[in-house]
Amino acid sequence: MLSKRAAILVAIGWVATGSLIAQSKKEYHFVVGARAGVSITNPYGSISVKPSSNNTVVVNAVLHSNKVEVDNSQNGNRVDIQSHLLAGSDAESGRVDYEVLVPADASITLHSSTASLRAEKLHGDVTLEGPGAAVEVRDIADAHVHVKTMSGPVNLDNIQNGHVEVDSLSGEIMLNGVNGPVVQVVSTSGRITYVGDFGKSGEYRLTSHSGDIDATIPEWTSADVSARSVRGEVHDDIPLQPKSHNYFPVDKGRAFAGTMGKMAISSTVVLRTFSGKIHLRKRSEKQ
Amino acid sequence: MNCVELQNSLAEVEDGSTVEQRAHLMDCPACFALVKELDLIIEAAGRLQAADEPDPRVWQSIATAMREEGLVRPQRSARPATSSFSERWGAARWLIPAAAMLLLALGLYVKQPSAPKEAVQQTPVVTPVSKTAGLNDQDLIEEVADTSPAMKGQYEDNLRRVNQSIREAQGFVDESPDDEDARRSLMDAYQQKSLLFQMAMERPLP
Repeated sequence: MLSKRAAILVAIGWVATGSLIAQSKKEYHFVVGARAGVSITNPYGSISVKPSSNNTVVVNAVLHSNKVEVDNSQNGNRVDIQSHLLAGSDAESGRVDYEVLVPADASITLHSSTASLRAEKLHGDVTLEGPGAAVEVRDIADAHVHVKTMSGPVNLDNIQNGHVEVDSLSGEIMLNGVNGPVVQVVSTSGRITYVGDFGKSGEYRLTSHSGDIDATIPEWTSADVSARSVRGEVHDDIPLQPKSHNYFPVDKGRAFAGTMGKMAISSTVVLRTFSGKIHLRKRSEKQ
Repeated sequence: MNCVELQNSLAEVEDGSTVEQRAHLMDCPACFALVKELDLIIEAAGRLQAADEPDPRVWQSIATAMREEGLVRPQRSARPATSSFSERWGAARWLIPAAAMLLLALGLYVKQPSAPKEAVQQTPVVTPVSKTAGLNDQDLIEEVADTSPAMKGQYEDNLRRVNQSIREAQGFVDESPDDEDARRSLMDAYQQKSLLFQMAMERPLP
């Protein structure tokens, strides 16, 4: 009995050691100029990008087996990193996890099928794409943020003066403290949650065909707001000054439109769903 | 010029060749990629008019261009043949529905700002594209099942949802052809389906 148990432990240890040996780390450095472009394509595995303190792109890659390689190239001010799947690789053995440092003004493009994509504290353009990828973007300023996902959740936090476009089919989308000249979210069935103040003079369009839309804003927000659910319901906790003209029928319970706040320049907010619910909430001062 | 102005200006000069367009495209990789995609689609659409069935060289040239752009990678391992469709068109076959839906969405988008009420009623433009797109749903699912079985359920689920949204939006347009929100919801639904096909197309193969 003892020898059998010992044999099992040895086998487990052998497998674990083998997997540790197969896992490897690689590091790459690229010196770039201002506003560099960095692209990373990684079928299986996460990518996290943070700002570096100098003009160097540093790529740390953890390869989970020898069935995947990292192809890298630099062409002028552009760096391309690609996980190169070898024959016989799968989602586990083809996995590479990246931690990347880039100059804060670099533009980045990240692709991953299933794992997380994360970018933070940058002011270059950010493009993140992946069918099942969980996307998290935070502390971005004065930049374009473009996100495309199928089912992964999207979490944008503290995006200032951004040109934000999110396309997602069914993942939940959370925008917290996101403002800028254009903020556009389109989803088929995902729930969209917005917490913020809709900035000062932007165009905000949140659309989900069958998902709910929930916006929580302070009472002092200044905006032209219109909300419409063709087959669902709308709820408005904040009194709006009605507009004299609307291009759609404002059926009670299905739509509302009006202005809030007294600033001369205000944002335009459009909330649309076909069969979901829309709720415009007042943020409590304690929040 | 920002992204919205660039996309609006494409209705006038679609190849991005004005000074303002070029300046924006230099700084915006997303718009640059959009213009390149539109160029490919316009080129392919022009050739499609010449014959009932496209010459395989058309798709081969698109596939070559896409490989050069790094959008797809040549297949390294020999996989069993799944269907004659797959053998015939390779990875570029996804361009058919994606291009059709992108063209439709772009058409609706370009029409939108200036569409007077009487023009709005010309919505039957969507019908043939809807049929074209429907023909390729099964191919998409078969491809995903073959190359990435773990994702098959997600693709099926999202395809079902987006097809449902297209049907509902189309019904909305039929009910209220003058309603701007109806047309916009149909455009969004087609763009979402296009996005689904793009994602299937862009999945790197082992």
